[in-house]
Amino acid sequence: MIDLGKIIAVHSYKGGTGKTHVSVNLAASFVKHGKKACLMDLDFRAPSLATFFNVEKAECWLNDYLNGTCKIDNAIIDQRIGSESKLSVVLANPSTEAIRDMSAKDRKWEMRALGRLLALRNSLLNDKGFDYLIFDTSPGLQYSSINAIVSADLVIVAATFDRSDVEGTKRMLHELYDLFEKKTEIIMNRVLHDTSSKSGKDYMENMIKETYQTPVLGIIPCFCDVAKAEGAFIFVQEKPEHPFSKILDEIAGKIEKSNSA
Amino acid sequence: MYTCKTPRGIRVTKQEALSRKPQKILEKIREHLEKLNEKMEIMIELQKRGGTDVKPFLDAPLDVMTLLSMPDHLRKTAMTVCRLGRATAQEVADQTHRARAVESSYLNQLVIMGHLKKERMGRKAYFYVEKEDQG
Repeated sequence: MIDLGKIIAVHSYKGGTGKTHVSVNLAASFVKHGKKACLMDLDFRAPSLATFFNVEKAECWLNDYLNGTCKIDNAIIDQRIGSESKLSVVLANPSTEAIRDMSAKDRKWEMRALGRLLALRNSLLNDKGFDYLIFDTSPGLQYSSINAIVSADLVIVAATFDRSDVEGTKRMLHELYDLFEKKTEIIMNRVLHDTSSKSGKDYMENMIKETYQTPVLGIIPCFCDVAKAEGAFIFVQEKPEHPFSKILDEIAGKIEKSNSA
Repeated sequence: MYTCKTPRGIRVTKQEALSRKPQKILEKIREHLEKLNEKMEIMIELQKRGGTDVKPFLDAPLDVMTLLSMPDHLRKTAMTVCRLGRATAQEVADQTHRARAVESSYLNQLVIMGHLKKERMGRKAYFYVEKEDQG
């Protein structure tokens, strides 16, 4: 069977590299360009999308789907993007009890969870016609994030120039993604060097490629406006003309182009 | 015209009998050889693990950490079964672009290690991770 859509896992070695911000805005950018996207919170240890989308109670969380107590259809919540489009989201339960429950799962449960994530390819991409499933994962070598990586077609690594992040990301690229033979690309986030000119951008791109030996999907400079927004809104939706939004649109376009090639 | 009876008592011409028999015999031989091959693979694998009296592991979940610790050749096979859900050695070979016999050997190793389950339906052997409703 030919899969019509794609699963993208957004991952990182360290926390705080901007995975969630990239995931939300990338999903919104796909929607803005007429694609059907579903954003999923796979960071069960520190769920953040429920807060981002102001959802306190859900009929069904992603936790319940992975526990086998509900269908994925009941866990999908539609969020309005602009006046006509909608972004589907599946949220992780942010309650302390749920976080505790998820961190106490055994290997057998994790194996079943992987089976359920793999089953989303049929239920959401092939049957429901989603173009993209975007998994916002927890950082490092967590069961839930590796399950997401194994299920994904493309792994986007959100990295920063923090020294420990650089070394950890390098290790992860060769000891995790390579082992699963995953297509992996890097988004360098909060870059302080000047990338406003073409030569500056090319220099930076070559440097990242040389460091990680991995293709670069995008370079996002450190924008004070983004930090000031404190994650209160979706940037590509509220400020479509901002350079950050333009870069995210460009990244979405690159992914779309490689899919249709 | 010379005729003879089939084991079911149906009268057929000598020519028909001659053309039917070798094909059936060959199919039977192939079926038995395949079963024999599987048993040999299991015996070889068990011997590698310290003798024929070693029992296969009954239950070893195929989780991602186990996948990570596997040798590359087995990981590729295991991941393909994970993706397909349930597959024959030929179906796995089609995905990995390796020979069917090679995949059959790897799949049987994974069964012995307790990571996969195997079910025979007629002439075909199916391999799967675990039977359950995926919701």
